[in-house]
Amino acid sequence: MHEFSLAQGLFTQLHQLAETNQAKKIITVRVEIGKLSGIVVDSFSFGFEVLSQESDLTKKSVLEITEIEPQHRCLDCGAIFNHIDQIPNICPECSSLKLIHHGGDDLVLTQIEME
Amino acid sequence: MCDSCGCHIPEHATPQTVDVHESLLAANTKQAKENRRHLDEMGAIAINLISSPGSGKTTLLEHTIQHLRDEITIGVIEGDIETERDADRIKKQGAPAIQITTGGACHLDARLVHKGLHQLQHEASTSKFDIIFIENVGNLVCPATFDLGEHERIVLISVPEGSDKPAKYPKAFTSSQIFLITKTDLLQYFDFSTEEAKTEAMKLNPALRILELSSTTEKGFEEWLSYLRQLVKR
Repeated sequence: MHEFSLAQGLFTQLHQLAETNQAKKIITVRVEIGKLSGIVVDSFSFGFEVLSQESDLTKKSVLEITEIEPQHRCLDCGAIFNHIDQIPNICPECSSLKLIHHGGDDLVLTQIEME
Repeated sequence: MCDSCGCHIPEHATPQTVDVHESLLAANTKQAKENRRHLDEMGAIAINLISSPGSGKTTLLEHTIQHLRDEITIGVIEGDIETERDADRIKKQGAPAIQITTGGACHLDARLVHKGLHQLQHEASTSKFDIIFIENVGNLVCPATFDLGEHERIVLISVPEGSDKPAKYPKAFTSSQIFLITKTDLLQYFDFSTEEAKTEAMKLNPALRILELSSTTEKGFEEWLSYLRQLVKR
């Protein structure tokens, strides 16, 4: 439910960046969404679609989302690994269940293409 | 003439790529850091309580205040979408409380808590608190994303909600330090497996400390109160 307000924050930033760079049109917006960020990709995209129509600057903007996997560290053997699932059950090195995650919990505006 | 392609349009625009690499949660994180600094200056420990609606957050606070009001100075920031009811309940127990009504927002953010801290100091006419509880909007999803500047985050699940909650709502568990299982006096009436809830929560966050209690019978309360006393001494 908070995806919409996060998308609003993104548009505030887009307008500022366009002004700084004297751009009239934003073509592509690239963001990274961590899988542990609690942000639903579909809801965020929907917010983007709706808000992009509010200004000529962003009317034709395309949103590109890269999802970021968290890294996991084993508290028993120290192994660091990426995991395909959001919730790993077991350390691939020592089979321990004591795993803590690093990263993959942010929403980052990485790059904009504009003209 | 345009420099890039030689056409005759004077202001022909050239696409440019700008690298930004800024977190969209950064504004909240920055304010959260500021809140933590403010709280440290006050000498207060802030505890963010996150749970579904109806898991017993306010009732837990009422009983906690009854037990600790003579030894620990407690203040409460209540977050709800509407009404001042929760703050009124806390005030009846003799602790200063202020209510933040979000007017529809599903979570508290660092800016709202910043305002709340100032209101609380005003309401209590003091900055001297040992513990400030921040009771988040009843929601196990969105509040987990927003750092409020708290020192401790507690996630609560009540027995009637079911022991599968940790597996279903992982973020609240990966970001908390304490997992409280509440309403344990109802265990005999519900199909709640304490073992399942604990195992699933520990898989998500092995550093999590788990406490079980009932505010009605006050079973398990001693461990909860001693955890709070330890926090104040720290």
